[in-house]
Amino acid sequence: MSALQTFLLVVDHDKQEAKQIAERIAQDVETKKITLIEVVQSLGEYINDEDPILRGKAVSYLTAVIRALPPKFLSRQQIQVLTTFFCERIEDGGAVAGLETLQKLDRFNKALAEEVARAVFERFEELQSRSQSQRFQVYQLLNELMINHRAALHDMGDESLVGIVNLMTGEKDPRNLMLVFSILKVVMVEWDVSNHAEALFDSVYNYFPITFRPPPNDPYGITAQDLKDRLQDCISANSLFAPHAVPSLLDKLDSTSPNVKKDALNALIACVKLYDPNTVSKYSITIWETLKFEILNAQEEFLSELSLQLLSSIAQRLSEGVTQVSDQLPLAQFLRPITKECSEQLQEPQQKQAKPAQQILSSTSAASAASFTLIVQTVVAPLLTIYQEADGIAKQRALLDTLTVLFDSAIQVYGAWTSRDSEPSLSNPLLEFKDQFSDIFGQALMGVIKEEVSFRTSALKGFLRLSTLRNYFQDNEVGLFVQYLDEILLKEESVGRDDLKKEAIAALTEISKYKPRLILDITFPAFVATLPDSDDGSNPGYITTLETLAQISVERDIFDTLVRRLLSKLSILLQKEDPGSVDYPRAILLTILYVMNQRKLEETPNLDLYYDKIVVSLCRSAATAALGKAPNNILTDATVLDVLGRLCNVIIRSLPQSKHDEVVSNIYTLFASADGFQQVPFTPSPTDSHRRTMILSTYLLASLPRDTKNLPPCTPPVMSDLLTDIATRCTTETETATQLAFLRHLALYINKHLNKEDLELATSLFDTLLPPTTQDPQLTTPTIKTLFWLSKALILRLSPKTTQILTTLLNLLSSSSESTSTTAARGFAILLKDDEVLSPTNHANIRLLSKQRVFTTLTPLISARIREVNVAGNTTITTAPTSPHIKPAHLTALSGILSTIPPTLVMPELPTLLPLLLQSLDLQSADSQPVRAATLETLAVIIRDNGVTVIEECGHVQSLVTRLLKTAEHAPATGAVNGPKLRVDALKCLFLLAQTPGSGTADAPKVAKAGKLSPLLPVKSQVLRALRTVLDDPKRDVRKAAVDARGAWLRGVDDAAEQDD
Amino acid sequence: MESSMQNSNPTILNAADLPTRLRPSSCKAGTYGGGILASALPSLADPTNFSLSESEESDEDVDLMEEPIDEQEIFDLVSTISDPEHPISLGALAVVSLPDISIKPTLPDVPSSLLRTVSVLITPTITHCSLATVIGLGVRVRLEQSLPPRFRVDVRIKEGTHSTADEVNKQLADKERVAAALENGTLMGVIAKMLETCQ
Repeated sequence: MSALQTFLLVVDHDKQEAKQIAERIAQDVETKKITLIEVVQSLGEYINDEDPILRGKAVSYLTAVIRALPPKFLSRQQIQVLTTFFCERIEDGGAVAGLETLQKLDRFNKALAEEVARAVFERFEELQSRSQSQRFQVYQLLNELMINHRAALHDMGDESLVGIVNLMTGEKDPRNLMLVFSILKVVMVEWDVSNHAEALFDSVYNYFPITFRPPPNDPYGITAQDLKDRLQDCISANSLFAPHAVPSLLDKLDSTSPNVKKDALNALIACVKLYDPNTVSKYSITIWETLKFEILNAQEEFLSELSLQLLSSIAQRLSEGVTQVSDQLPLAQFLRPITKECSEQLQEPQQKQAKPAQQILSSTSAASAASFTLIVQTVVAPLLTIYQEADGIAKQRALLDTLTVLFDSAIQVYGAWTSRDSEPSLSNPLLEFKDQFSDIFGQALMGVIKEEVSFRTSALKGFLRLSTLRNYFQDNEVGLFVQYLDEILLKEESVGRDDLKKEAIAALTEISKYKPRLILDITFPAFVATLPDSDDGSNPGYITTLETLAQISVERDIFDTLVRRLLSKLSILLQKEDPGSVDYPRAILLTILYVMNQRKLEETPNLDLYYDKIVVSLCRSAATAALGKAPNNILTDATVLDVLGRLCNVIIRSLPQSKHDEVVSNIYTLFASADGFQQVPFTPSPTDSHRRTMILSTYLLASLPRDTKNLPPCTPPVMSDLLTDIATRCTTETETATQLAFLRHLALYINKHLNKEDLELATSLFDTLLPPTTQDPQLTTPTIKTLFWLSKALILRLSPKTTQILTTLLNLLSSSSESTSTTAARGFAILLKDDEVLSPTNHANIRLLSKQRVFTTLTPLISARIREVNVAGNTTITTAPTSPHIKPAHLTALSGILSTIPPTLVMPELPTLLPLLLQSLDLQSADSQPVRAATLETLAVIIRDNGVTVIEECGHVQSLVTRLLKTAEHAPATGAVNGPKLRVDALKCLFLLAQTPGSGTADAPKVAKAGKLSPLLPVKSQVLRALRTVLDDPKRDVRKAAVDARGAWLRGVDDAAEQDD
Repeated sequence: MESSMQNSNPTILNAADLPTRLRPSSCKAGTYGGGILASALPSLADPTNFSLSESEESDEDVDLMEEPIDEQEIFDLVSTISDPEHPISLGALAVVSLPDISIKPTLPDVPSSLLRTVSVLITPTITHCSLATVIGLGVRVRLEQSLPPRFRVDVRIKEGTHSTADEVNKQLADKERVAAALENGTLMGVIAKMLETCQ
């Protein structure tokens, strides 16, 4: 059997084998054992066979042999012969592949390329009827020719153009179309298409709009968007298409489908961007006439946005190369009908249609300086006339808004003061109106009655834009605006929600970015002048002033000045014999704290100065004050010390490591050892004010990193003594603020600075605080607090004894002493609560799994204990009677933990938890309100994230709804205490039940599919009836929540699930 | 849709200009007026304050103070209904306005009676608006859903603002006809859509 015959036999089922046969023959040809002619001749009997499949296989054989030959083997003549051979038999399978192989060869020339192309074009009908993958081969051949021999095709001119169009007509396969569109785009861009523009355009436009939806698991991964993009590239490829493209695409805007309209608008935008400006100009007005409707009667927001974008693109294209504006410009002709239409709509600027008119002006005027100039020239003067003649303030206000829209465009075109790009060569047309604007906006802002807040707000916004616009106002003109703003903030009484004042502060902040000098020169002196020397209680207005100053001090220079001025105010206060209320110095410190929190302190060059002036100097003053040597007692006040401590904390954290040593050695001496100040720890009986300095010490300690060396107690025996000393002070301290400082101090050491091997110190301290008999513990409140803070420090770092500690704490709840039990129950809330001092920013050691650990340890224990109590309550007498406070205490502890646990952790435990939560809603006394509030909060999160289904799965819909309704009720007669906040929260849960997905018809089709009625349906009438009573609640917020909840149940819970439209 | 649009260009009031209730912020304000300085300071209060209910007690007086249903509350209920023609609220279109809402005792002769009558006057955007009935019905439905049973609802077209006001009023006042209208699926669909925006 000859090689050919073997090939014919195996080619269908063993491609690899067939390939090897061909490679062997190729080798024979190469080594001249056999000539190429002989190979061709051997095909003889098969290539004339009647069976096209057999013929195809024979040709494939030849192709396979050629493909296996080295690229330079064939001579030019051989290539020519083979090309002709393949071309003649192009309808046979394998020929196209053969040609594709040949055209890659170096010796393949232009004439041959032409011959191939011609052969393809002549037989196009034949080739079109082939299968999808064979058509793909043909297109690929054409594509290769386009890449390798474009000149040949190009020189064929119309012949190749028509040929390609004929060949691809009727193509439907997306993969082939991707190729076809890219071939056609080359023709459209590079060929002279003048004779066949329409045919060429139609060949692609037939596919518009593309409605292709890829099949699932599409191996080619072609999306509708890919096709749309390529098609759009074709449509926009040549300006000669414009007469066909623009009208057809505009017609498509009559379509009822928003998606078709969107495609048409996108294609038009592409056309406008790529066609030459003359063509764009020719159609610009036609396009506007159609788009007008789309924008003024917008169906969908995105269509109106695209339309505006299209208008802006046209204006941009028509502005190209324009250096001087005149009426004769195509741009001017395009804009004329637009400005006319807009001006008409703006005659009554407070009406609905004015809004789209503003948008049109906004997008076209922002297109270019030329466009902006032309629009301003035609629009502004008439607007000003309407303004002068306007009969109402609402109309004037709408006009100010319209002008502000133009100012926004001006900022886009001409930049803000801080813009770095170069300015357009055309001068700003708004300059002509500068004085008028200044008058109008100034008058509107300052010259009307104070109650016209929204009018004045509009004026303020416009004025701000003008002050932002680059090289527009002189500094003194911006200064005038700043003065107005100062006046509004300092002199005017509050009106309503104080919207104007808020805007004024925002405006000053904005201006401080561009013109910090003006703020420093005008605003600062004016504001600082109103700050009193001391607060005698008569005028607390300084708080507003300080708040304003804090907000506008964003820029560095202003920030520095503010801090300096405030510190000098403070130092005067500290020297006074009679400084008035401590609220004032505290507010000053608070202002400094606020601005420091707003800035990245590490980058502040003056940080060292702040360290000296605030940390060192004020701490020292505090120490002096504690000794009773200061002129007044400002710095012995706990709240002042607290703010000062926070301030030191922020500053020290930002300092480089090198500075920390100094802080370490001054934690207790507060930089004042030279003045005879003794540290608090180990001092036998310090005075109240002396102990209060521990507030500062705690903040200093908190700011240090975990690996800080040379801490005062760096060796175990000292550490042990210190911890015991502080713990004792925790349990005996009488002032709350100082006690909190001691508690945190203890927690900081244990959590941050105790080595793992020294943790024993902390646990033994824990044990000593407990009473010797663990059976029925009775403890004082300070001791319980100390125990919980100590535990918090240990649990957060997941110390080895965590479980043991938690169990011990839980045991406290079963104490027969009600106060021990209740106090301890409340303590559980602080275990995991984020603390401001023992926090990650202060380098606390907080392990990720600590929350999970606490939750999974405690929940089963609490659940079991409550069950125990319930059972004991039912059987009574037989066992020792349990005290009634034990169950509420456990529920309180549970709610305390839940409030600090992320909902994701809660969900898996829901079946266990839900009964407990429902029981906590049964508590009715006044002091159970916080517990119930926490429960409702947890429930709200669960319902919001998961819908009613999770409740249904636990089978508690009815019991939950009943309890919620009971909590929402205001019934003082029954003795139940449900505060307004609690009632609102319960109603919110009811609202969420009906509102969230999975609850019913909010997602109607889904329910219909499941064929399931809403689980809420059985309780619907009960809820609606009960809520009707709640609508008469004495509290407005409750009524509002009831209205919302009732609305949600009326809307969301449908009687008939099959109700469809 | 477009062809049936009866008033395509109504005047729109700015949302900021609509009457609103000012929260009595002053009574809640602490030392820092609830301003930004307070935000710089998450809490001066002791987080370990174990007696959680203590702070609530100071609110006791506020809790006991009654806030009766007033005109502003009615306005808030109906002003967020959207117009069936435009996606704009009835408040912004000035179809409902605060001065046109009143609450009176239903039985003035019986001072102890808790029954109240709410009347809302509607001002259509144009005098021949055929949707006036639908708007009136929407307002009615909203109020009946949101007010306690002791309130009677009376919705009417404001005098002199509509060409067929009498007829519309008759329709809105006729309980039977209102009930019949609410059975109509299409109409309820329109009204449900109007009420969707109610906050």
